[in-house]
Amino acid sequence: MKKHIILLTFLSFCFGKVRVVTSTTDLADIVKTIGGDQVTVTSIARGNQDPHYVEVLPSYMFKVRKADLYFMVGMELDLWAQQIIDGSRNRKIKVIDCSVDINKMEVPTGQVDASMGDIHKFGNPHYWLDPENGKLIAQLIADKLANAAPKSSDLFQQNLDAFNMQIDRAILDWDKRFRKLQGKKLIYYHNSWPYFSDRFGLVAVEFLEPKPGITPSPSKLNQIIQLIETDTIQVVASESYFSERAPKFIASKTGVKTIKLAQSVGALNGADSYINLFETNLKILSEAFGIEYD
Amino acid sequence: MLQKLIGGLLCSGILFAQTTANPQFSVIGDLVIDQLTESPQLSSSGVEIAIQGNVNPFARADVYLHKHNDESPLELEEAVLTIERGLPFGLALRAGKLRPELGKMNKTHAHLFPFIEAPSGMTKTLGQEFYSATGIEANWLLPLPWYSNLSIGFLDTGIGSHAHEEEDDHEEEDGHDHNNGEEHLEEEKQENAFSSRWSHFFDLNEVNHIEIGTSYYADHEKSFGGADFKFKWRPNKYRSFTIQGEWIQFELGDEHEGKKVHSNEILTSGYLMINYQFSKAWNVGVIGDYWQFDLADTHGKDPSIFVGFSPVEESVVLRIKLGQVLHPEDDHNNEEKQLKVSVQLIWSLGPHKPHRY
Repeated sequence: MKKHIILLTFLSFCFGKVRVVTSTTDLADIVKTIGGDQVTVTSIARGNQDPHYVEVLPSYMFKVRKADLYFMVGMELDLWAQQIIDGSRNRKIKVIDCSVDINKMEVPTGQVDASMGDIHKFGNPHYWLDPENGKLIAQLIADKLANAAPKSSDLFQQNLDAFNMQIDRAILDWDKRFRKLQGKKLIYYHNSWPYFSDRFGLVAVEFLEPKPGITPSPSKLNQIIQLIETDTIQVVASESYFSERAPKFIASKTGVKTIKLAQSVGALNGADSYINLFETNLKILSEAFGIEYD
Repeated sequence: MLQKLIGGLLCSGILFAQTTANPQFSVIGDLVIDQLTESPQLSSSGVEIAIQGNVNPFARADVYLHKHNDESPLELEEAVLTIERGLPFGLALRAGKLRPELGKMNKTHAHLFPFIEAPSGMTKTLGQEFYSATGIEANWLLPLPWYSNLSIGFLDTGIGSHAHEEEDDHEEEDGHDHNNGEEHLEEEKQENAFSSRWSHFFDLNEVNHIEIGTSYYADHEKSFGGADFKFKWRPNKYRSFTIQGEWIQFELGDEHEGKKVHSNEILTSGYLMINYQFSKAWNVGVIGDYWQFDLADTHGKDPSIFVGFSPVEESVVLRIKLGQVLHPEDDHNNEEKQLKVSVQLIWSLGPHKPHRY
């Protein structure tokens, strides 16, 4: 009898959970928060990896093979996900595009082509960098988890409510502690930050990339140097996965402060959860601008 | 029978796939400058047109057309329906004109190589454009605790059949008997072939990966066995290190590539490549390849160094090759050493897929 109980417990532990794979660590962290111990979750891209370019490894297909749900960023950021899903030969998996409910920024008008660089025709896909959008993602995740495991839907709803409350409190806290960041001008390496900047009142003056996805050229760097000198820009911020070469060159010519920001959970020390992603970035920015925070 | 089966599969894919969504088109072209150190020769390996898209939620179709030069017709390189997610037991099917899974390189299109030319050992074995034929290929993702894929193909023509056709074309141009060529092609239709590959992929850790595979091929008179491996270290988008190698032992029949060979001749071929990407745009590597006909006692090797530069992803790629070419051809006592410098500029228009490992 005891053996049967142990076996049943083991089986329910192994097979009762919803198996989830996500494209990025941010989505994985939200799934973990909402799903609790009723889900197992794996992210394909690492936190410190450029989510635009992920090499499609057979082992990723193997991870997706037994999954029940796949959450993707969408908006053409993780185009590689479809190859992984197809290659997994998983007939039952449900693929969810987390961008469906997002109010999208920078949606291009007119014809989009390669002369514009690596531009996304459905808008800027870095929407998870606004914590308000994190709530929309979490709502979608809770709905899909509840469909996959109706018996645990109450738990998912409780966790969703707690997550939303945590985000709301954090936004109030950040607005208070980091209010002096509002209106601060900075230059980003890549245009990953419109949602983040919009939320926290930062002003993106320029980008090191001449066009999205295009490596900074010498003429662009000269233009940036002149801009920093005339417009008294204090900070150049880049994603954790970019080379430090171009920012350091600019810093050597202008004395501008160069920083790395966490574009995803796990990209930098401290950014170990979705909430801490923002906390870490806001602290790094405040220190770079010489602003005191509580 | 095989062609009817494949035709049926292709038709069923298309019939159930009425959609207004357009497939993706892309074009890849190149310019090659050979013998840069002597009298430069300009050429192109042609233009490849790819038409790709899903035909329904479970299947996709990939069509590759290739035009080699101004005179050559637009040739069908591949036209394959792939069903990856609709079948049970981890099965996938490919049907149509396809490059079967044979070793690591056969399925790779030339513009995806980090070097300019395919290793001569591989072209000696698989043909100048590598091996493609009309057939059906089943891929089974085995229920093992790691990625393990068994691929089995049944095809209508064997390796070297295209060489026959080219040979026949040359004969026709030279004014030789046309009927002879038709009879030859008639014979080739009977030459069904079997291909297989069993591959395994392991994550050593987050940034180190290794793939190993074994292949087997047989038609009515030839067969080969082979082994391949690839190790890759890729810590970020700026750096990677790859070692890739392949070895094939080919038991030939009476002829190979349209030429008579010793009865039961064995062709052994292989290559080893090391490629180091040291920045986002630059890579440098070395490749050594080797082939040998045992009974004829001839062999060849083409060691070379290659450099690649891709400033904007893979939309434009510049490759340079420095190689010492040893061409003994039929007379192995008369080895002629030659330094060859080649430059290739590749451009691509349209969406190109993220690369599989």
